Amino acid sequence: MSAARSFRSVFMVASCAGAALGCYLVSLNVASERASLEDVENRIVMTQRDIRMLQTEIGTRGRLAQLERWNVKVLALSAPSADQFLEGGFQLARLAQPEPAHNVEAPVVMASVPAPPLQSAPLEEGDAGVDGAGASSSAPAARLMREASLKIPVREAVEQQAVAPQPKKVVQSAQKIEAKSVKSVSDVRVKTPQTKPAMNEKKAGDKKLEAAAKPVTKPVRLAKVDPLAPLPAKANSKKTAKDSGSAR
Amino acid sequence: MNAPTPALVASRPERLRLVGQRRQILTMMHQRLMFGLLVYAGIIALIALRILYLAAFGDHAGAKRGLTALIPERGDIVDRDGVPLARTMDAWTIGLWPNKVIGDKLELARSLARLMPERDEAAYFAMLRSGKNFFYLRRRAAPGVVEAVNALGEPGIALEREPDRLYPQTSLAAHVIGYTDIDGHGVAGMERAFDKKLSDSASRGEPLQLAISSRIQQALEHELLFAMTKFSAKGAAGVVMDIHTGEVLALTSLPQLNPNAAGQGSMEARFNRATLGVWELGSTFKPFTVAMAMDSGIIKNFGKMYPCPREYPAYGRVIHDTHPYGRACSVAEIMKESSNIGSAQIAAEVGAARQKAFLDKLGFLRKSDIELLEKTKPLRPRDWTSLDTMMIGFGHSLAVSPLHLASGYATLFNGGVYRPPTLLKVDRSHATGKGHRVFTEDTSYKMRSLLRLVVTEGTGKKADAPGYRVGGKTGSAEKYENRSKLVTSFAGVFPMDEPRYVMVMMLDEPQALPETYGFRTAAWNVGPAFGQAVSRIAPMLGVRPDKNREPDMSLVLPYVHEDAKH
Repeated sequence: MSAARSFRSVFMVASCAGAALGCYLVSLNVASERASLEDVENRIVMTQRDIRMLQTEIGTRGRLAQLERWNVKVLALSAPSADQFLEGGFQLARLAQPEPAHNVEAPVVMASVPAPPLQSAPLEEGDAGVDGAGASSSAPAARLMREASLKIPVREAVEQQAVAPQPKKVVQSAQKIEAKSVKSVSDVRVKTPQTKPAMNEKKAGDKKLEAAAKPVTKPVRLAKVDPLAPLPAKANSKKTAKDSGSAR
Repeated sequence: MNAPTPALVASRPERLRLVGQRRQILTMMHQRLMFGLLVYAGIIALIALRILYLAAFGDHAGAKRGLTALIPERGDIVDRDGVPLARTMDAWTIGLWPNKVIGDKLELARSLARLMPERDEAAYFAMLRSGKNFFYLRRRAAPGVVEAVNALGEPGIALEREPDRLYPQTSLAAHVIGYTDIDGHGVAGMERAFDKKLSDSASRGEPLQLAISSRIQQALEHELLFAMTKFSAKGAAGVVMDIHTGEVLALTSLPQLNPNAAGQGSMEARFNRATLGVWELGSTFKPFTVAMAMDSGIIKNFGKMYPCPREYPAYGRVIHDTHPYGRACSVAEIMKESSNIGSAQIAAEVGAARQKAFLDKLGFLRKSDIELLEKTKPLRPRDWTSLDTMMIGFGHSLAVSPLHLASGYATLFNGGVYRPPTLLKVDRSHATGKGHRVFTEDTSYKMRSLLRLVVTEGTGKKADAPGYRVGGKTGSAEKYENRSKLVTSFAGVFPMDEPRYVMVMMLDEPQALPETYGFRTAAWNVGPAFGQAVSRIAPMLGVRPDKNREPDMSLVLPYVHEDAKH
């Protein structure tokens, strides 16, 4: 008891000192936290200042007068005219309407293309058409009808289109393919003097052409492919164009 | 404490002497020691408390320095969309203390001349040997130059950062923004008008938001500059205003001025033609004359006929027309072909007193209400005779600024209420200025079709922008000091079926071109420029082009006679 009493004052002093120290530590902690917070705030401000600086620089470099100068010199964009503004989605959709396909009459023209005009070496697209029309008038109508409904004229149409813009040699090679696939139409045409040199030369392009032409003919025979579809024709024409280039 | 009090010591000295000298001295020593101890403890306690207080609540050194850094030295100026038009940045300044130079002066002069070739070697050497205290070598130096100068390692060269006013859009809206002097005080434009707000530390943190839209300003400046160069005009001015709020969306004066180097601009460039210059703006005044007559009950409809002879003598002067009718013509026709003779007669009917009252209400007889300080009072006739009344009827004898004209047109077409033009954005913090009625709503409505007629059929055909329903009036006035020189202007409103914006464009002394067939009136130069500018500006303002909409043209078309066409 007496020991406890004698130590009481020591305890009191110690606890007071401890409490004071604790308080001081807390406040020290707070102060250091505050300091670091201020540091962060400071950095934020500095960063904002940098951003401001950079924004100003970008704004100055891309100022409107400069953009205008670029537009006048290079882009030449102008304000939209009144007709370029649309009323709404429907008007926009009307603009996006696909172009009507104009090759509806193509099979009619091609159906009447027999061999004779080719003997007089028509090289231009227009000539071929005209000659074909002329020939159709000489042929009996019933026969024409039959051919148009069959596979053969369609194939001709496809190949004729492919050949049209090509130079002489390709026309010849195409004729040769034609001859191969259209034996039923005219055997005479295959033996024309024009096609022979081309066959003798045996160019790589010709073989490829044949290979390319084959898959086109087969599905038509089965009548599974729409004969009016322009896609195979285009593909074919591209190929022939390339081949003719390499052949030369 | 046992020590006797000083009172006891003083009262009984004989007794103390009895106790003994030694004891007395000892007591005194104790007292002094005690006093010293107390003082010492007190000071230490004070310091300790202060330290504790600082530890708990104090700030460390430089705590608030950074936080104030973002508030610029001078407030920003931004446009209505927040695009900065003026900012204060820290720029490098290179200075020279000749007395502190320790290296070889000739060598230093040589390297300075190499780095900053604006002065030659001899000039730098003379500076170094002048014995003066300080020179500015370059203000607003590029960082590369600063680095190179720093690499010289000369303690006599001072590199410092100074706040510097920068205008990122360079010459854009230069006459609105203005510029500052070397000490950072505004000397022109909004920099001058709001100098206090921009430099006050309490308010400069907030940017000053203008009503100007930089895109519209750019479009207007470009189109005007194009027209000015094409027609070799001396100058040009343009204003675009929102007619309902009075906000000035664009205001320009050409030739251009670069506020970043305002001192290099000529006097001509620093002159603000849109607010500071006054001109007799000619026929653009005629709509006011007609509106006054309508409000006074003189003109009931646009079919009222006036005699329009080829020449009209009045008070010792003879009034002429550019497209003389030589017959009686209706009000619609007077406006369509811009007949001076007809307008003069209408003005004479209105009379001087009423005309004066209307012009006063329109703000045409005093300085504009805009915030800019660069503005002048209109020039008005001294005694307002009957002839003056007639002349004012077609826009002579009274000289106003293009801004006056724009605000007048805004009044005429927003329903007849005058609102003071303002360069500050109208929003929650800044309300529209207080307006007052000038014309009746009915007059305002009827005038739409009349001015649309001028553009569809009359002198303003070339100012039309398809789909935007422009209505307006051409104006070509001879300069007072030299009658052979013209000031051409076009004041127009769009879209005319529901007016929203007014635009005024003016060319100072345009020249005739072969493609204008030798004409230099407004219809040939500023008219096409106006149409071009509208088709560019209107989409930005959200005006939808529509070719199927028109104001009510049945008010005017019946009174236009076919044979009047030339």
